[in-house]
Amino acid sequence: MGDKQVSAPVMLSVRGLRKNYGGVPALQGVDFDIPTGQICGLIGPNGSGKSTLFDCCTGLQASDAGQVLLDGVDISGWPMHRIAREGRLLRSFQKTVVFQTMNSEDNLILAGQMASFPGVTSTFSLGGASRARVTALRERARELIEISGLSRVAHLEAGQMSGGQQKLLQFATMLMPNPKLVLLDEPLAGINPVLIEKVIESIQEANRRLGITFLVIEHNTDVLMNLSHRVIVLHQGQKLADDTPEAIVRNSAVVEAYLGG
Amino acid sequence: MFNFIFEQIVNGIITGSQYALIAAGMTMIFGVLRAINFAHGEYYMLGTFAAWYAIERMETSYATAIIIGVVIAALISAVIGRLVMQRLVGAPFQQGVLATLGVSLILQNAVILAFGGGYKVFNGGWIEPVEILGVGMAQQRILLIVVAILVFASLEWMVRKTRMGKSIRAVSQNIECCQVNGIDVESVVRRTFLLGTALAALSGILTAPVNVSVYGGMGEAITLKTFAVIVMGGMGNVRGTLFAGCLLGIVESLVSGLVGLQYRDTVAFVALLAMLMLRPHGLFSQRARF
Amino acid sequence: MSITLDSPRAPSPRLPAVRWGLSLACLGALLLAPQVVDNYFLHAMVLSMIFLLPAHGLNLILGYTGMLSLAQGVFFGIGAYASALMGIHFGTGFVINFLFAGLFAALVALPLGIPALRLRATSFVMCTLGLVVIAQAVAKNWVDLTRGDMGLSGVSRPKFGFGDNVFTVVQIPHYFYLILGVAVLATLAFIALVRSPAGRCMVAIRDNETLAESLGIPTWTYKLLVFMLSAAFAGFGGSLYAHYETVVSPLVFQMYYSNTILIIVLGGGLGRMSGAIIGSFLFVAVTEALRITPELRMVLYGVVLLILVFMFPHGMAPLVERLTDFLSRVGLKKPLEHSDAGSVGGPHGR
Repeated sequence: MGDKQVSAPVMLSVRGLRKNYGGVPALQGVDFDIPTGQICGLIGPNGSGKSTLFDCCTGLQASDAGQVLLDGVDISGWPMHRIAREGRLLRSFQKTVVFQTMNSEDNLILAGQMASFPGVTSTFSLGGASRARVTALRERARELIEISGLSRVAHLEAGQMSGGQQKLLQFATMLMPNPKLVLLDEPLAGINPVLIEKVIESIQEANRRLGITFLVIEHNTDVLMNLSHRVIVLHQGQKLADDTPEAIVRNSAVVEAYLGG
Repeated sequence: MFNFIFEQIVNGIITGSQYALIAAGMTMIFGVLRAINFAHGEYYMLGTFAAWYAIERMETSYATAIIIGVVIAALISAVIGRLVMQRLVGAPFQQGVLATLGVSLILQNAVILAFGGGYKVFNGGWIEPVEILGVGMAQQRILLIVVAILVFASLEWMVRKTRMGKSIRAVSQNIECCQVNGIDVESVVRRTFLLGTALAALSGILTAPVNVSVYGGMGEAITLKTFAVIVMGGMGNVRGTLFAGCLLGIVESLVSGLVGLQYRDTVAFVALLAMLMLRPHGLFSQRARF
Repeated sequence: MSITLDSPRAPSPRLPAVRWGLSLACLGALLLAPQVVDNYFLHAMVLSMIFLLPAHGLNLILGYTGMLSLAQGVFFGIGAYASALMGIHFGTGFVINFLFAGLFAALVALPLGIPALRLRATSFVMCTLGLVVIAQAVAKNWVDLTRGDMGLSGVSRPKFGFGDNVFTVVQIPHYFYLILGVAVLATLAFIALVRSPAGRCMVAIRDNETLAESLGIPTWTYKLLVFMLSAAFAGFGGSLYAHYETVVSPLVFQMYYSNTILIIVLGGGLGRMSGAIIGSFLFVAVTEALRITPELRMVLYGVVLLILVFMFPHGMAPLVERLTDFLSRVGLKKPLEHSDAGSVGGPHGR
């Protein structure tokens, strides 16, 4: 399960990232590093470019300029599926998306599949090796379902679960293929406040036990400050600050632009 | 040689006008509904059949037949608009394909069942030839070009100046916004559909004297050619269809004159596939919207 | 977690057994059919089994992967021609022709699929329609190869055996068994595809292609492979058709065949394993047996299409599923099921 390959000290390195949407500059030259094994927060007002940053790093959008290094490898220009599979970089979406017609177990098995199978052709096989892999994935999926508290609705099609349950499923999906880096886009939005604690714990647990590096966009700044080792602040497509939570909170420029006062 | 080419080009513009008329309708419907009307050619066929029936069985004049043909096609299209097309507002595009395919099956085969599958002869129209710019052609063909120009001019005016035109533009751009603003989207869809199919029917009736044969399956081939025209012109782009239609007509004419008549119909499909593979957003726009 | 009123119950553990039981029962009935039923009805069933193959292909690409393609008829026709020509020019037997037909169709699908799959959904559909027309034109005009409108006649009948012991399939009951065998194999192949990990990828692509790609699935590769596989299914079906009718002409590319295949899958049930089977029985066997003229049949198909699109988007399969579900719960004790009275509480079983 967990591989013991040594990662570079910096998991994600972004240099000079630019992105325009038809004349509107979303990212105007962003540079930062995310150290391996840390939980980093990403905050900024709406429209500051946070989701665009995620899109460009994961290959959903092509950046206009700049470079992205994932665990020392230049992934600029890689297609999205390669970044996810080879690069082991996953991201969640702001609007919770899961595979509506599959149940939770299949959703999770699917997430783990490409990491577990050597190639496209091998997924067509129903032979012993293939079935063994699926069995292993199924066990892991059941564990995750149990941990997420989704056991009672596990047999439902994901589209029939409530929004909060889908969100939990989405998070569990992020953990299946043993990623190195996970980008979470507002993981607490729309979650029953009672469950916020649980989600935070899951992130921390995944970070501690599995060594996953996290970059988290979140508007619930109190929670985020407690959770993160570092916080990056984006403002109008540029990095405004990049520091520990304590320093950020005291940073006057940040307070003025975003934290309010 | 030059004369020959010139003649082909003129012929091409004429058939192009026919294609443009039909395509304008299909592209407008696509604009408001985001659905490809697979049954579009059937309205072309229905109009022609109705006109044929008027001339053959009711012994009316051609001019009256034109009106009868368009009216009957419009009536049928009004029913379908209400029963089928307006339900496709906001539906996934697959539904549109399958529903209009169903309509096409019904219309085409109902006509064959009613009138038999054989070819009928269309006996009306002003087919005396007239000479224009050294090219001899039936009066009917000039009528076709004139009508096409009038129609496109009217469409331009309608889209800019009338309320219906503005509603059409609005719905084409953003359906949710329209629904929120109280525009009756279903009504716009029905009326656009009526207009679009009436144009197809008109095109059929005006072309029938020249094409002469009328049969139940004639709509199918037209539908597919019209795809080529709307893709070339840019889906949803009415002006584009005028140019694209004429372009297709001219190329078809040149190919059939210089290479061989049997290849005439393949031009449209080669054009369609080429456009889809190389430039799916049409000859005139920059990026693909659909 | 609260459970809503409508939350479906977990499947009963007896469900797989019920499904297998029903399938075997149907198979048994089919095996006995030639003893009980006359040639006229057998012919109807043979046709429905021939169309089963391209229908499985369409179910694969549309039902499971979410791509609407109207080109199944194209590959059906290509398979028919390929199979016939193989036999005519090389004198090869049925099995080789059959295998060649499917492979050839898949190979043709490859260069067509590569550019076509880059298109968005609407354009892709139109592209597949364009292929139909081009196929018709090629069949009519490449007279040297296809004999144009005259078509190819005298396609060889399937023969089995060696030397003096050759058995030629000529009578309908024999064709019935042969094609039944092929249909069963094709269905097993289809089920294997759909239940493989690749099948899960297909459903993922159908549900949300971007999400699938963000989880590492190379969606374009899968779509191309599915396009080729569905073409192969159609090609195999075309081969059966050619060797059954023993005549192949450009008429095989008519929309009539594409429409039939579409109705089979839509009516039977998109995205369900039994979809094509239910559909091909309902729409081909029944309409053939009722001796409905082609035009009237098309009108019916049109009406059925409209009804399906607006009222039964999942076809008939859900009804069958409800039946098997019901059967699988017969005899199970009530307390294991969720209460329907709406109160949440009490033991939540399974």
